[in-house]
Amino acid sequence: MSTNTNTTHPIFSSYERKEGFFDEIFDEKGNPKEIYKKLFEIYGGHSIEDFINLNNKARASFFNQGITFQVYGDNQVKEKIFPFDLFPRIIHPSEWEIIEKGAIQRSKALNLFLHDIYHDKKIIKQGIVPAEMISSSENYLHQMMDLDPPGGIYNHVSGTDLIKHSDGKYYVLEDNIRCPSGVSYVVCNRTALKRALFGVFNHYKAHTVTNYAENLLEMMESVKPHGVDIPNCVVLTPGIYNSAYYEHSYLAKAMGVELVEGRDLFVENNFVYMKTITGPERVDVIYRRIDDQFIDPFEFKSDSSLGVPGLFSVYKQGNVCLVNAPGTGVADDKAIYTYMPDIIKYYLDEEPILNNVHTYHCSRPDELKYVLENIDKLVVKPVDEAGGYGVTIGNRLTKEEIKNVQEQIKASPRKYIAQPIMSLSLHATYIDDSKSFEPRHIDLRTFTLLGKDTEFVLKGGLTRVALQKGNLIVNSSQGGGSKDTWVLKK
Amino acid sequence: MNLEYTVRYHARNQYETLVKSAVWQFLIQPENNDNQTVLDAHFSSSVDGRVDPTINGLGFEAIRYSVDIPFNEINFEASYKVIKEPINPFDLLHQERKKDMEVFNTLKFKADFEPYLRVTPLTQISDKSTFTFNAETSTFNQLQELNSWVYNYIEFQAGVTSVQTTASKVLSLGRGVCQDFTHLFCAICRANGIPSRYVSGYLHQGLGYSGDAQLHAWAESYLPKVGWVGFDPTNNLLTNQDHIKICHGKDYQDCAPLKGVIYAVGNGNNSTEHTVQVSAQQ
Repeated sequence: MSTNTNTTHPIFSSYERKEGFFDEIFDEKGNPKEIYKKLFEIYGGHSIEDFINLNNKARASFFNQGITFQVYGDNQVKEKIFPFDLFPRIIHPSEWEIIEKGAIQRSKALNLFLHDIYHDKKIIKQGIVPAEMISSSENYLHQMMDLDPPGGIYNHVSGTDLIKHSDGKYYVLEDNIRCPSGVSYVVCNRTALKRALFGVFNHYKAHTVTNYAENLLEMMESVKPHGVDIPNCVVLTPGIYNSAYYEHSYLAKAMGVELVEGRDLFVENNFVYMKTITGPERVDVIYRRIDDQFIDPFEFKSDSSLGVPGLFSVYKQGNVCLVNAPGTGVADDKAIYTYMPDIIKYYLDEEPILNNVHTYHCSRPDELKYVLENIDKLVVKPVDEAGGYGVTIGNRLTKEEIKNVQEQIKASPRKYIAQPIMSLSLHATYIDDSKSFEPRHIDLRTFTLLGKDTEFVLKGGLTRVALQKGNLIVNSSQGGGSKDTWVLKK
Repeated sequence: MNLEYTVRYHARNQYETLVKSAVWQFLIQPENNDNQTVLDAHFSSSVDGRVDPTINGLGFEAIRYSVDIPFNEINFEASYKVIKEPINPFDLLHQERKKDMEVFNTLKFKADFEPYLRVTPLTQISDKSTFTFNAETSTFNQLQELNSWVYNYIEFQAGVTSVQTTASKVLSLGRGVCQDFTHLFCAICRANGIPSRYVSGYLHQGLGYSGDAQLHAWAESYLPKVGWVGFDPTNNLLTNQDHIKICHGKDYQDCAPLKGVIYAVGNGNNSTEHTVQVSAQQ
């Protein structure tokens, strides 16, 4: 069942509202919602040709800024322009307040959880989180036991992925606390939209997103090692072949700090130094965008040439701060996600502000049985893969495919969790083929910074769009696009 | 009676292509613990470089050595004087296995000893019924039986395995050297819920033990009310005054004596030889 909207403008002629999904911009009668009215008024004054031009302009802006990403898989690496969309997402201040409080609550709870499982492990001993959650996780690092990171912070940077379900409520889909990426796109989307549609932007009072870098730097300075007055901060990148290299260079530039690769750093006298043309310069805080296993060949993967030999021993001695701390991956495992409500209650004695999606653990026999019998109604996810790889959506599968998924789960139940199929909300997205706006599914990644006595949530975020009609996976690596996201001022 | 040992470690690294710079990490210094004290330590190299005393990820003392001048061959010498106190034949509480099992099965115990109950790639075994623990006798007796079982199961033979050989593979091969004996011992213990750790160290030479010409490896298992007890399955021994400990970890990976990162011109083969001399004076 679908109904067309009441907007008569031809660019919305292909916009079919779908039952069972929350529509972000149209109400049940097909009228634009209050917050979008002004936008419709302005857009109504433009022709289709105008939009085609504007869209090309916005894409050119991305191309000129060199904002691309790479897609892995199929034995090829392709460089793509991140598809950007002309229609912004607008979030009301009252709605944002909940998201912001909820994101901080989750970050703080995860930080306390990480501190606990690397020290006394009270939450395990009291049986709230099963011991297997850490003992079977490859991301739980023995080397982090009893280590106190500077400022007591583990997950300095968190990316929380949220969706709006058909009930109109936000649900957290996952917490990303290793090296969450995407924040540079938030800033670029804003730049591109402002360039293309300055007039529109001027009619709304949206919070800036360009203050992310200064807050990131402030957070990094707050977790400086003991005895350091003014810390020297750097961004450590795996190099130009990394899919997020653009972001690494953007962040370094915006913070006014050096962008380094492993070979630019060395360890001497149990401190980290950067090679410069004027001699070695001590480095105190490293925003490392290299995965744990690659940061130090003496401690982790011995054949890694991306890291710095001896870096971990310097960290262990408290002479450098790594952002995020090694070993945070144990807490953003999709299996831990399902315990988030318990984790929040345990450490903060608070009710979770943001909803968690109900999750079935295939490691539990009764839940495994339910999952195997109801695959067509569930999303099945591997617990340890990021970026939407290996996710299957039950109602899209043929009988044959369902059988295959059942076999996969039966072979290693611990590896999989399943959740009800969540209905991602819909938003107007400019589609090249039809030269008009069509509804597409979206999510929202927020960015939270946690420092020593500081916390910050970027007022905005990355709204990712599943560009294929009906697709529910919004990751850029799975062919998603993005929208500028406006959080309105009160 | 105290024994004074002199331990000499020698490593010779040869590279086919010219090395421009390099950095190594050595985990070869005996630790100070309840029954051993390091009196004297020397470290030197045939190529000038920088010595940085440091610690590894698990907190054991290590040496980092970095060289910034070109070379094809480099030799390292280290020597340590160590005092070993006699280990009293410990007053083992021959506690019933059932009572130990009660302790082993508590959440608190599982959480506290997690690293040494963890199945790592090197300590994975597919067939857990290879050696069965008997519920009737004490855990200590069982571990002694396991020690003998591993000793008899594996034929000591150098050159058939490497430091990457898994316990599972050792089980099917039936041959190997000290780290293989130790990995298998640890694997079986962990599969049965007994925390066990891999120990790297030196062994008194001239007593006819296996594995004394190189760095040695053995295991330590945790017994409630007793603590960590050393088992040397390569020689079917409980560890004693002849075992000089360097460090412990989950498996060989945590205890590798020498790790290096080499920046060379082009690709070529390289080789490393270690020799160890351990002599005792009373």
